[in-house]
Amino acid sequence: MAEAEETVTVTLDVNGESREVEIVADETLVETLRRRFGLRSVRATCGIGICGTCTVQLDGLAVSSCSLLTQQVTDAEITTSEGLADGDDLAAVQEAFLEHRAYQCSYCIPGMVVAVDACMKNRPDVTFEELREELAGNLCRCGTYPQILEAARDLISARNQAG
Amino acid sequence: MTVNPIGLDYPMKDARDRVVGTMRFTIDHEVEGMAHARVVRSMVPHGTITSIDTAEAAAMPGVIAVVTGADLAADDRIASPFFGIGRKDQPPLAIGKVRYAGEPVAVVVAETERQARAAAETVWPEIDETPFATDHLEASRPGAPVVHDDWPDNACGAFRLHRGDPDAAFATAHRVYEMTYTTPSANPVPLEPHVGVAHWEDGRLTMWSSTQWPHVVRNELANIFGLEREAVRVIAFPLGGGFGAKGQVKMEPLIACAALVAGRPVRLQLDRDEVFFTVAKHAATMRFRTGVDADGQMIAREIELHYDAGAYANTTPGGMGNAVVRSPGPYRSPNIHITANGWYTNTVPTGSYRGALTTQVAFAYESHLDEIAHDLGIDPVELRRRNLLHDGDEYATGESMHDVHFAELLDDVANAIGWGESAAADGDPPHIRRGRGVAVILKSTPTPSRSEARIACRADGTITAYSSGVDMGQGLSTTIAQLAASALGVHPDVVDVVDPDTDITPYDAMTAGSRLTHAAGIALGHAATDLLAALAELAADQMEVAVDDVEHVDGAVVVRGAPAMRTSWGQVLADAGVAELARDGVFQSEGGAFAEPMDVKGVASVHWHQGAVAAEVAVDIETGKVTVERCHGAAFAGRVVNPTRARQQSEGSIIMGLGPTLFEEYLLDNGQLVNPNLSDYMIPSVLDVPVALTSHNMEHVDRANNEIHGVGEMTIPAVAPAVANAVFDAVGVRIRDLPLRAERVLRALDAQETTDG
Repeated sequence: MAEAEETVTVTLDVNGESREVEIVADETLVETLRRRFGLRSVRATCGIGICGTCTVQLDGLAVSSCSLLTQQVTDAEITTSEGLADGDDLAAVQEAFLEHRAYQCSYCIPGMVVAVDACMKNRPDVTFEELREELAGNLCRCGTYPQILEAARDLISARNQAG
Repeated sequence: MTVNPIGLDYPMKDARDRVVGTMRFTIDHEVEGMAHARVVRSMVPHGTITSIDTAEAAAMPGVIAVVTGADLAADDRIASPFFGIGRKDQPPLAIGKVRYAGEPVAVVVAETERQARAAAETVWPEIDETPFATDHLEASRPGAPVVHDDWPDNACGAFRLHRGDPDAAFATAHRVYEMTYTTPSANPVPLEPHVGVAHWEDGRLTMWSSTQWPHVVRNELANIFGLEREAVRVIAFPLGGGFGAKGQVKMEPLIACAALVAGRPVRLQLDRDEVFFTVAKHAATMRFRTGVDADGQMIAREIELHYDAGAYANTTPGGMGNAVVRSPGPYRSPNIHITANGWYTNTVPTGSYRGALTTQVAFAYESHLDEIAHDLGIDPVELRRRNLLHDGDEYATGESMHDVHFAELLDDVANAIGWGESAAADGDPPHIRRGRGVAVILKSTPTPSRSEARIACRADGTITAYSSGVDMGQGLSTTIAQLAASALGVHPDVVDVVDPDTDITPYDAMTAGSRLTHAAGIALGHAATDLLAALAELAADQMEVAVDDVEHVDGAVVVRGAPAMRTSWGQVLADAGVAELARDGVFQSEGGAFAEPMDVKGVASVHWHQGAVAAEVAVDIETGKVTVERCHGAAFAGRVVNPTRARQQSEGSIIMGLGPTLFEEYLLDNGQLVNPNLSDYMIPSVLDVPVALTSHNMEHVDRANNEIHGVGEMTIPAVAPAVANAVFDAVGVRIRDLPLRAERVLRALDAQETTDG
């Protein structure tokens, strides 16, 4: 007989919208975002917080959503790649990735986007070299790194010109 | 049409969804009423299954079924619970005995994934352990543990090539060299794991799978269940990376069996460690013996290859033929003797890893040639020039080489790296030594092979191209749009491409071997020719002109000499009362060198893939750490269909290739894989990318020659030897075993010091 799993109701702030969802008590954030919110951009790959394909922003900081329990983050603003875009208007990071063709199979790309966006917002003076080092936590098996770095370089120089 | 779609730097059609993350992968696919599976795996490398206690699991919450290999063997609905491309030796769940640690022995199906996991943990197989062999040379010896009773000597494929008179040539050689090289097992690590959903309805099976080979999966599933091929439908969405890991047949039989027994649609997504347990690269031991004349010409060669097949045959038996024909490298070999043997071992079954059965031999022959060059005191680039194949030369198989550009590729990479100039850099601390190396490789493409394609035009004006080629990051569906558009004379914007679906898209052998752009391009070309002819006939009738006077211009027909008489294809079809007009095209390559396994000869490849890499390394002599600072790759593309994507293939191949060169390898302890995770098994990160990384995809000089070569894996085989040769150039130690881990380099440096001292 199927027995119900132990569930709890939590309120989560995801991509600017507060919503009540029922989750299994020990559910990880990546599971919740995929299953309860249908957000495809968040992808579990290594399960141990190494590869970065499940990267989301928690109050603007890049974190691995496979390594957090959903119940730990009920007080935080959660942002995924879908949430960086404003309707049809893409975020500057997404535009830069598009412009530089920074995608191949694209499984890792939203996590990269979220990581670059978080780094640039949290470290207003970040240099290209520092940003490159931050991206060591996001793996790409296709080897799209050159295009990702080109996009990052463009974003930094655009910021410098604007500043 | 103002642009030629071939060579157009056209972005992937779904680029926006790729960047935002809204594109659909197989992990996103759900079916109503779907249950979830979890695999129970063997903890031991070899043994007889005495019992599997499933009672506790069966009673757990949400559990629908617990299935073992014995259940499959006893199930009347399963015609044959074995699959495999080379030999049907692999059960979806171990039957009777287990052959490697990590082999599936049972599967639990439950309402939720969590319930399936919890129940799977209670299933405990009792296995009577027997001696095991995880090393292929050990497995090859008499008296070794027997992996399959049907193959008591563990033999898993053997091929031989003999040409000229090697013995006589060795006798006249100026010098003879003999060295042995090894490359370890590794995992392709697609970031998307293997994932699939099986759904049975009225005796018909639909399988959504992250596969590179949808038609082969269909045929194998039909065979397992004793069904007509048409009773099985396989659907493949774009892959989150394949790199060979999703070739052939992988988890599909297990998922389909689980769904059959459970009586529900079943989904299975592997955890990362399970990807490591599902497919591995062939480890290899390669002995190269070479006789050269005083000029350094390789006049006599003997190559002995041993490959680790793992526990199940998969492609190994036939693959040994590919191992043979790729092992001479891009060099004239008038007198040569090659043997290749695969051996069953108690390790993860092998399959493809980008550059399959090529990266191994390329490391060996390009390291070997470098060693010979240094011993003879001949510049390594010059020694290669003296031996490289040119158009019209006979290859080791006896076939005449055509469209080969090895010399230009070598020159290109040598120039790019500054060959001949000092590698030393100002400002380097004294413990950093720099060096440069090059490597040139060739790879056959599957021959003979078949790809079909279809193009349909509709009265509503839409155009759709159909192929079963799988988009796995190379952007194949957009490439197909460009190829179809070129053949039709329209813009790629107006050509839709559908995902592979064996009910809808025509037969394709496999998305592998860098073959699809070439093969699909030719098939689409034939389809377009026939489609344009059929449209012209309809239009000629309607316009009451001779069919020869009808021309096609940008999706419309015009009458020659009367351009005002212009009708769109959609209108032609609408006027004719035809909703859709479709034509199929076929690519079928001829040739084949493997009819007699002990006497390989003939056309091994419809054309030869060609690549080269030059690398500059910095070696820290205090730690042994090798850093690849500069890298340039060159490939022969024939025609570049899309410049950015071709560049991404060549440079992505180099980046991926740095993994097995520097750190990727399966580590075993007492038959157990001890690093099946992305913490202990590292893959290249952005910090491993050479500071200077460039590439060149070379095209035909003859503008009339439009033959397209694949570029998916032309640089990867050359990376390891180029880097190993650069390490020798930097510090004078020769590493003949991959990967070039810091400890290994440091030990070699210590040994060198001891010898010198």
